Amino acid sequence: MAGAWIGRRAGMIELEGITKVFPGVKSLDSVDFEARSGEVHALLGENGAGKSTLIKTIAGAYIPEEGTIRFDGEERSWSSPGESKDAGIHVIYQEFVLFPELSVAENIFIGEAPKTRFGTISYATMYSRASDILDRLGHSLDPRALVREISIADQQMVEIAKALVGEVKLLVLDEPTALLSEREANLLFECVMRLREDGVCIIYISHRLEEIFRIADRVTVLKDGKLAGVRQVSQMDRDQLVEMMVGRELTDVFPPKVLPGKDTAPVLSVRNLRAPPLVRDVSFDLYPGEVAGLAGLVGAGRSAVAHALFGSLARTDGAVMLAGESFNNPSPREAIDRGFGFLTEDRKAEGLMLLLDISVNVTAPAIHEFSTGVGMNRTAEIQAAQDEIQRFRIAVPSPLGDVSKLSGGNQQKILFGRWSRACHRMLILDEPTRGVDVGAKVEIYEIIRKLADEGAGILVISSELLEVVGLCTRVLVMREGRISGEVTGDAVSETSIMRLATVSAAA
Amino acid sequence: MSEPASKSTALVPVKRLALPAAMLALVGFAAVLQPSFLSPSNLQDILTQAAPLGIVVLGQAFVVLVRGLDLSVASLMATVAVIATAFNATDDAMIPVIFAVAIGFSALVGLTNGLLVTKRNVSPFLATLAIMIVLQGLRFYYTQGAPAGSLPSGFRFLGTGRIAGIPVNMIAFAVLFVVLGWLLHKSAFGRKVYITGGNPVSADLVGIRSDRVTILCYVICSVMAGIAGLFLVGFVGTVDNWVGRGYELDSIVAVVIGGVALSGGTGTLWGAASGALILILLFNIVIILGLPVQAQLIIKGIIIIFAAALFARARAQ
Repeated sequence: MAGAWIGRRAGMIELEGITKVFPGVKSLDSVDFEARSGEVHALLGENGAGKSTLIKTIAGAYIPEEGTIRFDGEERSWSSPGESKDAGIHVIYQEFVLFPELSVAENIFIGEAPKTRFGTISYATMYSRASDILDRLGHSLDPRALVREISIADQQMVEIAKALVGEVKLLVLDEPTALLSEREANLLFECVMRLREDGVCIIYISHRLEEIFRIADRVTVLKDGKLAGVRQVSQMDRDQLVEMMVGRELTDVFPPKVLPGKDTAPVLSVRNLRAPPLVRDVSFDLYPGEVAGLAGLVGAGRSAVAHALFGSLARTDGAVMLAGESFNNPSPREAIDRGFGFLTEDRKAEGLMLLLDISVNVTAPAIHEFSTGVGMNRTAEIQAAQDEIQRFRIAVPSPLGDVSKLSGGNQQKILFGRWSRACHRMLILDEPTRGVDVGAKVEIYEIIRKLADEGAGILVISSELLEVVGLCTRVLVMREGRISGEVTGDAVSETSIMRLATVSAAA
Repeated sequence: MSEPASKSTALVPVKRLALPAAMLALVGFAAVLQPSFLSPSNLQDILTQAAPLGIVVLGQAFVVLVRGLDLSVASLMATVAVIATAFNATDDAMIPVIFAVAIGFSALVGLTNGLLVTKRNVSPFLATLAIMIVLQGLRFYYTQGAPAGSLPSGFRFLGTGRIAGIPVNMIAFAVLFVVLGWLLHKSAFGRKVYITGGNPVSADLVGIRSDRVTILCYVICSVMAGIAGLFLVGFVGTVDNWVGRGYELDSIVAVVIGGVALSGGTGTLWGAASGALILILLFNIVIILGLPVQAQLIIKGIIIIFAAALFARARAQ
């Protein structure tokens, strides 16, 4: 099976002392990295740890300030991604680079379509070669199908197939399973194994630890731009791996869980909520003081549930009670006025007003509170923002500072200030720690705990299972627009959640 | 004045000295070319010319702040002028009535623009272009191409008169500037304008009805254009089908020169008004230099390019 087009050598890629600086941030600080041919090498780290920078350095998209790159035994310094590609490095980013209106084969051979002797594209050759490549991946897919008509998993295969048109020695997969079902992920793993047997060096990035244990040979962990360690996967357990990632023991990351009082009435009660196509039938209760999780794969409808509850997505059906009163035809305004806050997933697109200062960002849901007959009471607004800055220890010089210049963690804390100030009953937190460094994460977890202790019901939506497991006493799992199950107490684990997220709960 | 120099109202850090400096430079340049430029009568003339454009610009700024633009302002000005003369009134007591009708009509036009943009998702460019053409058609239909009718003599005073040496229309501009300045920079509504313009999605998610805010901005813009039309017809003295011609683009240019980004959410009313004055000063300099009037167009084009390039660079930093 192994073709002559692959070199079988150790140390396919070797980085030494790589430092990459962005204005104000050292994204990589003297990092060493090495991966061999015929190896699946996992690259692990929290968001912001430097994984993407490392990948882009390997691919030639970034040029490091310091350090050397050896590829396939030669010292190289790429000046563009094209050069590294010609040398046999292929990176598949999370966002696919596919042309939806072209066929599978055209996408696979994009830019290097086989030609006839008249210089036109030879479709016959292209289709047959595309079939060969897909066969080698063990994947049956019609090369004539349009890319927009095939599934996400198939699109991923097309991305991988693109790498095999030329000679690939190093393949980088950046969170390849983020959008896949369990069955689809299994097909992907088989394909990765085949490439490994062919001697390809595979760098595999994933947040899902069980995947690492399943397919990776070795793992390199980055933390805050530095190398945290390189290990044989077989010689580690899950907790050790997590500790390496976060740089402290797990018990120090998450505050202790607290069960909500038993006799309280739910703050939010949802029955048969529908907002097609994403929300098909969702029922649950949320209690004051509770930190509950809403888990599921990307696309399962988690954020849509939040928007449908908050009033920013139209419902077609369902009965919702907020603090014992009907909440059936809501608008965001009414939700906020009744103490229901929603910290949205994408803080730049749906959260912050980047052109405005911190104080305005904090008081945005409560403008009327600061409006007097002669205009906005700026003094009171600035004081309110100052209070939140102190309460959540936000590292900013002044409430009049630019919100756009803050770090992800501080921006997120500004939003916590905004919502916890305006809404005391309940909060939905959609990906509360996305793009935030580890230190800020720990602080945000403490904030969440504190808000629940103050009596708010909190629903956490997160793709990071570790976070859901660490924070929540109860987790609702969604699959294809429905709640497929619920786990509570000690049953809350990554495995139990993933099972509900990916297979039918009916069985 | 409600210019946002004080720290507490400045929502957006602006390079505040750039616009006054540009104005001073232009005035200095003009005075060197022709010392009589600084004579009171010439300055009065300039302000009288600047006021109607300034009033339109105040409204246009609101629309641009919420990521829109209004191409119908000039057509509306002419239509309002036709409405004003249609009364054929001679008694000055009719002036308030004429104002009320004109402003009411303008508000309806603004409402239509706003509804098209928010509820039907028509792009501001197309919506206001269409309304501009519809207004033009209505006007031509009514006047049959030859507008007639007369205005109470008091209109002449509004357009060209002076109180204590200050042009009346400039006083009107100043009053509107203060009122709208308060609205934009001090009131809760103004805050909603900035939030909506800066991030409409976030605005809705913090409970601001961004559609309403946007519609109100279009109404403000049209009402300002209507008022400007009345002052301009008073200035010109007779009505024709093209009162205010060119003001749609001039007002947008002025707003952009004044630092209000077409992408919305940033800029001040002070800046927009300065932009209007800078534009008028430039036109004046063209005349002083003895260049043909057509040169105004070339200069206008070059300024837009310069202003746009400058802001693009400022944003990139």
